[in-house]
Amino acid sequence: MTPLLEVRNLTVYYGKTKVLTDVSLHVDEKEIVTIIGANGAGKTTTLRAISGLKSLSSGEAYFRNNKITGLPAYKIVRLGISHVPEGRKILAPLSVMENLELGAYLWKDKKEIAGQLDAIFEHFPILKERRNQTAGSLSGGEQQMLAIGRALLNRPKLIMMDEPSMGLSPIMVGEVGRTIKEINRGGISIILVEQNARMALNLADRAYVLETGKCVLEGTASELHEDERVKNAYLGG
Amino acid sequence: MKPPTSWKPIHKKLAAAVILIIVFAALPIFIENDYIKHLLIMACVGTILGMSFSMLFSTGLISLGAGAFYAVGAYISASLAMNAGISFWLTFPLTIIISSILALGVGAIFVRNGGIAFVIITLLFASAVVIAAGQIEFLGGWGGIIGIPRPTALGPIQFDSKMSYYYLILIILLLVVLAYYALYTSHIGRAWKAIKLSPNLAGTLGINQYSYRLLAFTIASTTAAAAGSFYAHYFQTVTPGAFSGWLSIYIQLYAVLGGLEFYVMGPAVGSLLMTFIPEYLRIIKEFEPIVTGVLLLVVILFFQGGILGTIVNATKSNGKNNGQGIHSIRSWLKKGKNTGVRES
Repeated sequence: MTPLLEVRNLTVYYGKTKVLTDVSLHVDEKEIVTIIGANGAGKTTTLRAISGLKSLSSGEAYFRNNKITGLPAYKIVRLGISHVPEGRKILAPLSVMENLELGAYLWKDKKEIAGQLDAIFEHFPILKERRNQTAGSLSGGEQQMLAIGRALLNRPKLIMMDEPSMGLSPIMVGEVGRTIKEINRGGISIILVEQNARMALNLADRAYVLETGKCVLEGTASELHEDERVKNAYLGG
Repeated sequence: MKPPTSWKPIHKKLAAAVILIIVFAALPIFIENDYIKHLLIMACVGTILGMSFSMLFSTGLISLGAGAFYAVGAYISASLAMNAGISFWLTFPLTIIISSILALGVGAIFVRNGGIAFVIITLLFASAVVIAAGQIEFLGGWGGIIGIPRPTALGPIQFDSKMSYYYLILIILLLVVLAYYALYTSHIGRAWKAIKLSPNLAGTLGINQYSYRLLAFTIASTTAAAAGSFYAHYFQTVTPGAFSGWLSIYIQLYAVLGGLEFYVMGPAVGSLLMTFIPEYLRIIKEFEPIVTGVLLLVVILFFQGGILGTIVNATKSNGKNNGQGIHSIRSWLKKGKNTGVRES
C-alpha cells in the first residue's frame, strides 16, 4: 500500500543556511505521526515545506500519489492537507464565526458546512458560545480549538499541527491531546510537531526525531519511548 | 439564508451611510453658494477615490498611484466624447468596460509584487500615465483636452447647474457604496481580510492571494476610472497637470485621515474635511502641501485609526481592545505582514 503522504529527501535553505538536510518521512492512512526535536531542529520548516509555504531546494513530496512539491499553498490545501500553523494563527480581529467560515472557504454546499459547524460546536461548545466575539479575545486554549476547528472545516485527509500544546496549561494540553485522538478516530491522519515529546509520543503511532535539520531516529512511538537517547534528550532522563 | 449575526456591525454601518446620503441629498436645497456645491461635488469624487484606495488596502496593498486610473478614466471618457461624439451616458459605461480590461492587464503584472515593490510600481505608473498623457498628441499634449460636452439632458433634467451634477455624483457614489458593501460582506471580503492579516495563513486556507488581489486591483481601478469619467464631463477639460503625484497622496490622505478600517465612512469623512478645511483656513495654495503633510504626520503618529477609529476607540469605554487589527499604516509597516495575527 502506498502511503498517504510520502516525503523524500527534503532539503531547504533559508538564505545560505541549510535548515533541512535530506529529510524523508511518510504517513499512512489513519496514522498519527509525530516529529520531535529541540528548538531550531527544523520541525516547523518541514511542515512549511510540505504545505507549500516554503520552497525546497531539492526533494519531493507525494500526497495520495500526486506530486505536491512546487505547488502553491492554496493548491496543496485543496488536495486535502490542512496546516495548523505554529502560534495559533487565528485571525484576531475577525469574529470566531468569520474565522470558521474562512475554514470552509473551499466548500460551497451550505447545508453540509452548517452540519460540520454543528459538529464542531458540539465538540467545542465554548466556540459556539463565543461565536460573535473577536477571535483575539479568546484564551490560548480556545484559540487552539478554533484553529483546529477551522482546519477541520477544510475537510482534510491529513492535518499537520505545529506545537498545539505551546503555551497551554497542563489541563488544556490534555484536552488538546484528546481532541487529536478523536479527530484521528474519525479517519484523519495527523502529523504532530511537538517540543512536548512526552505528550507527542503518548499520542502517536510512529515518530521521527530531528536534530539540526537531519532525521536521526525513526520508529514506532513505543520504541522511541524506550530509546535511551530519546529518554535522555527529550523525556528528561 | 438569514445573515449570520456576526455581520450586524456592518449592517449598522450601512444604515449610517444611507442616512448620511439622504442628509447629503437634501443639502443643496439649503445652500445657495455654487462654490460650496462645487466643493461638495469634489468631496464626493474624493470619497469614491478614497474608497478605491481602501479596497486595495483591505488586501494589504498600499497604492501610491490611486490617481492613475482616475486619470485614465478621465482621458478615455474625454477621447470618446471628442472623437466619437458620444454622450456621457455612453462614455461612462464604456470607460468602465475599457478601464477594467486595462486594470486587469496592468494589475496582472503589478500585483505579483506585494509590499514596498507594489508601492513603488504604482507610484511610477501614476507618473508614467501623466507623462504619457502630456506627450501623446492625440490626447491633447500638455494642453489637455478642452470642451468636453456636458452630459446630455435626461428628459426634463438638464445638466447645466451645480445642483444637477451634485445629484449625479451622489447617485454614482451611492451605487459604489452599495457595490463595495456587498463585496466586503461576501466571502470575497473575508478572503481579502485574511490576506491582509496573514498571507501565509490565507494560503493554508486555500485562498489564492494573487487572484484575490488582482480582483481588488481591478475593481478599485475601475471605480477610480468611473470617477474620472464624471470629472471629465464635469470640468469639461482634462489636462495632465490635474493628475500630478499630489493627487494620489491626497487620495491616500482621505482614507488615512478618516480611518483605514472604515472602508466607506473613512474616505467620506477624510475627503469632506480635506476639501473644506483648506477652503476655510484660506491657506495660500503654495503652503497647502506643507499643511497637508503635517496633518498626515499628526494623524499617523497620534491618531492611529484616523478620526473615526479614534472616536470608536474612545467610546469603547472598557478598553477591551484585544485583536483590533491594523488601524494604521504605521502599524502595518512596523509589524510587517503578520500584523493582527496572534503570535503566541
